[in-house]
Amino acid sequence: MTSEILLTTTVGSFGKPEYLQKARNQFARGKVSREELTKLERQATREWIERQEQVGLDILVDGEMYRGDMVAYFADLLEGYREGGLVRSYGNRYYHKPIIAGKIRRPRPMTVEWFEYAQSLTDKPVKGMLTGPYTMLDWSFNEAYPTRRDAALALAEAIREEAEDLERAGATYIQIDEPAIHARPEEIGIAIEAMGIVTRGLKAKTVSHICYGDFAAIYPAVLDLPVDQLDLAMSNYEYRWLRLFDEHPFTKELAIGIVDVHKHELESLEEAAEGIRKGLKYVSADKLFPHPDCGLKTRTVEETIDKCRVVVEAAKKVRAELGAKVPA
Amino acid sequence: MKTTVIGAFPKISDDPGGQEIRRALHRFDRGEIDAGALDQVFDGATRAAIAELEAAGIDVINDGQIRWDDLFAAFARSWEGVSRGPLERFYDNNTYFRQPIIERAVATGGRTLVRDFELAKQTATKQLKAAVCGPLSFATLTAEDKAYRTLEQRTLAVADALAAEIRGLGAAGATLVDVEDPAIVARPDLISLAREAYDRMAKANVPLAVQPYFFPADGILAELASFPVAQLGIDIRSRHSDALARLEPLRARTVVLGVVDARNTRLESEGEVASALEAAARVIGPDHVWAAPTTGLEYLPHDVATKKLAVLVKGARAAMGVLA
Repeated sequence: MTSEILLTTTVGSFGKPEYLQKARNQFARGKVSREELTKLERQATREWIERQEQVGLDILVDGEMYRGDMVAYFADLLEGYREGGLVRSYGNRYYHKPIIAGKIRRPRPMTVEWFEYAQSLTDKPVKGMLTGPYTMLDWSFNEAYPTRRDAALALAEAIREEAEDLERAGATYIQIDEPAIHARPEEIGIAIEAMGIVTRGLKAKTVSHICYGDFAAIYPAVLDLPVDQLDLAMSNYEYRWLRLFDEHPFTKELAIGIVDVHKHELESLEEAAEGIRKGLKYVSADKLFPHPDCGLKTRTVEETIDKCRVVVEAAKKVRAELGAKVPA
Repeated sequence: MKTTVIGAFPKISDDPGGQEIRRALHRFDRGEIDAGALDQVFDGATRAAIAELEAAGIDVINDGQIRWDDLFAAFARSWEGVSRGPLERFYDNNTYFRQPIIERAVATGGRTLVRDFELAKQTATKQLKAAVCGPLSFATLTAEDKAYRTLEQRTLAVADALAAEIRGLGAAGATLVDVEDPAIVARPDLISLAREAYDRMAKANVPLAVQPYFFPADGILAELASFPVAQLGIDIRSRHSDALARLEPLRARTVVLGVVDARNTRLESEGEVASALEAAARVIGPDHVWAAPTTGLEYLPHDVATKKLAVLVKGARAAMGVLA
């Protein structure tokens, strides 16, 4: 055993502070300049890096202070996309669902400066964070490409360029999220093919986050997704996906969601630790990464810190149980 | 040949004046308006949706389902024994719903949607149809069931509750009720169970239109033909489908053909719509074909939904011209 076990992390997004929300609204109305907004986004990024270090997380994220939606952010920066009208996602929540209207091309890096800035603030590794090609496709309208596969592969080429740039900038973890991967289980082959384009030859550890869908419908096929680590929401599902691993052994690293991000209530230390223990039945401690189920952007700063702290403390507790050295 | 719509219409639009519901819900959440004021906004938006559907030339309209959070929300809120559970994506959409949780035996007085239907009826000048969720979709998407031991028992219990709702809608004047049931095509292995559930709902003696969508019905057309319903919906756009070439078992049944894709902004041409309708009409007869979007237009931005309605109506009229 080494101290490099049960490394803790988060999925990617954190809540935007009120001053940033206000500035984003004002920016949309032309009342705040791009420069001023960027300054505040950097401030908020710095605050989240500090908070993650204070809580004791091992692998950090930039918190996505500069992003609204995980698809729209990239769609805004890629050529070939145009903004769509408002579509409801749930309740009173709406988003501008982007439209693939022409040939997809990445004119310039999209996240590299943010990665470099966040990484400059800490000695701990910061993950490069991308949205996967299949999810980009599935959460966009496609008017330009004759088939969904064609569109996914075109997106993959653009995302690959970004992944290469992140690696060149020093990213040792690159997360390519595919929360839509189970939208059409019959298309898992397209998602795998597209991800292969993104990750081929990368030396960084590659991760893909998957959440809120029928994971059973794509298991075990999803084990062929060419990434090193699958990052799964588990707590929200009362860990039922783990039972799938009884029949078909899980063969990758597993980032395991041990706190539910959609409820305000805080899990107890023991509940979270039990989540880790459940994961350890299937994946060894050096390949198991405890984290919250999903991005925390819908939680308050306080709730987020509390949820992350439970993750960190639960990992410490289980490390101690395993007789491992607890990192300082 | 008639035109119709299925499911929910966009609740808001990108126009500056088109976001009343969104604002009202925010104000309600902040305690700035009461439930009565929020109701008035919903009523106003319902009237506006009806007016828009009628102005577009749709022959048989619905109320736009402006109050529906998701397919199950109204029922899960009002039925005894049911609560609303975790958020989940609704099939292959980036749209969420709350999974029902069945705490104990399901019961309803059958008046869940009567008030909404009566309001719409006061406004509509064209034939108005009602809608309920499908029993198989409700049962298969339930997160937790503490009352029934099997999926079969759960499905049939939900069908009985829906039969009560359909009876209530019939008593309020509904002459046609859509039963939105994507699980029928998502889970074709359960088609026999679905059929049994529809037998129960048919006892309400109100004409039903089964509306499965999102997935092809190609493999179960013969089974669907035996359903005790007045109309069968078929989505031919969401995925590759050969249903148009397999309609023979549905001869003399009324088919609601989903000919404009309610989940993609790419606009069909009038000719594309017309030729699909003509192909169906040649097999089952023009009087037995209704033209519709594949599912609720709420998956589209409002301005695109409006364009889809226009091409639906034009395509249907073009088909009727050819077939006349």
